[in-house]
Amino acid sequence: MRKPTAIRIWAMVAALCIMGGMGCKQQKTREPQIPELAYRLKWVFNTSAAGELYAMEHGIFKAAGLSVEVKPGGPEKDAIKELELGHAQFGVASADMVIRALSQGAPVVVAAQLFQINPLQWIYRSDRTVIETPADLAGKVLGVTFGGNDETIMRALLAKYGIAGSEVELHSVRYDYTPFYQGKVDLWPVYRNAQGIIIEEKLRQAGEKAVFFDPHGAGVRFVANSVVTTRDMIEQQPEVVDRFISALLTGWEAAMDPANSDETIRIIHAYDPDTPVDQIRRQWAVTRKFVKPSSGFKIGTIDVSAWEETERIMVEQGLVQKPVNVRTAL
Amino acid sequence: MLHKRLYQFLIVYLIGLSVLLGFKYGLSLSDYVIPGVPMIWKAAEGASGRYVADTLNTLGVAVVGHMISIFLATVVGILGRRRSWAGSMIRAAAYNIQAYPIVAVAPIIFILLGDGPVSRLLIAAMICYFPLLLSFMGIFSEPVKDIEHFFNATGRMNWRLQVKIRAFENMRKLTTVIVGSATMAMVGTIVAEFIAAANGIGYSIRIALYQSDLAKILVALFYIGIFTSLYLFCLEWAGFRIEKRFETPKEGRG
Repeated sequence: MRKPTAIRIWAMVAALCIMGGMGCKQQKTREPQIPELAYRLKWVFNTSAAGELYAMEHGIFKAAGLSVEVKPGGPEKDAIKELELGHAQFGVASADMVIRALSQGAPVVVAAQLFQINPLQWIYRSDRTVIETPADLAGKVLGVTFGGNDETIMRALLAKYGIAGSEVELHSVRYDYTPFYQGKVDLWPVYRNAQGIIIEEKLRQAGEKAVFFDPHGAGVRFVANSVVTTRDMIEQQPEVVDRFISALLTGWEAAMDPANSDETIRIIHAYDPDTPVDQIRRQWAVTRKFVKPSSGFKIGTIDVSAWEETERIMVEQGLVQKPVNVRTAL
Repeated sequence: MLHKRLYQFLIVYLIGLSVLLGFKYGLSLSDYVIPGVPMIWKAAEGASGRYVADTLNTLGVAVVGHMISIFLATVVGILGRRRSWAGSMIRAAAYNIQAYPIVAVAPIIFILLGDGPVSRLLIAAMICYFPLLLSFMGIFSEPVKDIEHFFNATGRMNWRLQVKIRAFENMRKLTTVIVGSATMAMVGTIVAEFIAAANGIGYSIRIALYQSDLAKILVALFYIGIFTSLYLFCLEWAGFRIEKRFETPKEGRG
């Protein structure tokens, strides 16, 4: 008695599941498909992701018919690898990452360049260290992250100004700023629009004046954050790529508009609550200079010559074995 | 015994590498995501000399850190073996210190002690100390009733004798846990170097990671495995000799 009843119950459950499944399927086919995209940032949520956060919070992606998950990055996250593995469809990567990936056969394509000026600069105390021209770097203790792009930029600078390696002392840099605070290192690499503001503030509170050495101003153009995707995405879903980039850049234009600064700062603070609002305000102002150098400038413009210069620097330093012809990936 | 250890490591390494390459070719991934064999070979040719020196540097710190943690675990194990309030307090303190993740404590250590060998040593010792401590406490607080009863009854028992009896009767256990914790000492040193030091194979892995160079990381893992196997062999050999030394009189008595 029990067995046929159990069979009947299971049969009903199975039938309901099948009907439910079909119903869902039919419903799905009726609704227009919204592409679900994952977008991997290069770093954690902070001012450098102002445009992405603005677009997300103001429904700009949604209005473009896209469902976008903006994922924070970090030191061990590599957007290009995630693109190839299918964990993300878009991501943020610096030019050195893109050029390295291209040299190893990764099918990566640059869809937009977010930062026109690399925010990587070196902070120093103006009362202790005098740097009027790049040649003044000679004889200084310079902080670099060995293996990082700041090392590449610093070596390019030294080469450009004919400063031999023996004329400077390179100090290995990590997250801990103690050697700089103690004065053991003269120049310390920082992202001018992020930690730069925070360290500058700390020094100011200690009664010291901090200034920044800008490699871009010294003639070394090394491209920073850019939006990347795969060649497959460009070829197979060009319309989705267009919609995504358009929505993203709309978000960036709005986030960098002084009229929206309060709203942008509010959004950034919601995602980065550890940074005080007044610091975010200063970070925003500096970020704006790097992303939109002039009022008429179109955010996202790819500076091809800067990319070629970045490639040349990497080839000269042996970071890639041979030129990758980066122009073809832009 | 040595070649057995090395064979075992090589088999594990090659299986891991094969799985990785299987993924690469199965999913048609570029060399940027997973490097091919030629690229790994090239990385090995270019970086081997430096990586061997770095691994030896790391191993040196790991060995010293391991010795420190054995000493500490022995001292705390002996002090904490008592069922008194002080013994309980020492055990609780030892457990609580271990509850803090090393990645949270490491930055403080590096700020206070700098990025030299002392910080690496301390972190290596901290990582391998806890499993040692657990075993040592278990061993030193467990009476060997048959033997201790005699000394207790004759009034000749003192703390030194008690510790000796418990250590000798559990020599195999002690050797096993010391060998086991050696791997953790190596891992601890590498983690410390990865986080903040400016030397050792952990630091080299960090640089390779900055450059998205998995080929170099695979080469580093190879040398870490080889040298860790060598160190484990040395410990096993020492343990074997000690055991032999204590077994011989017993056999003679029998």
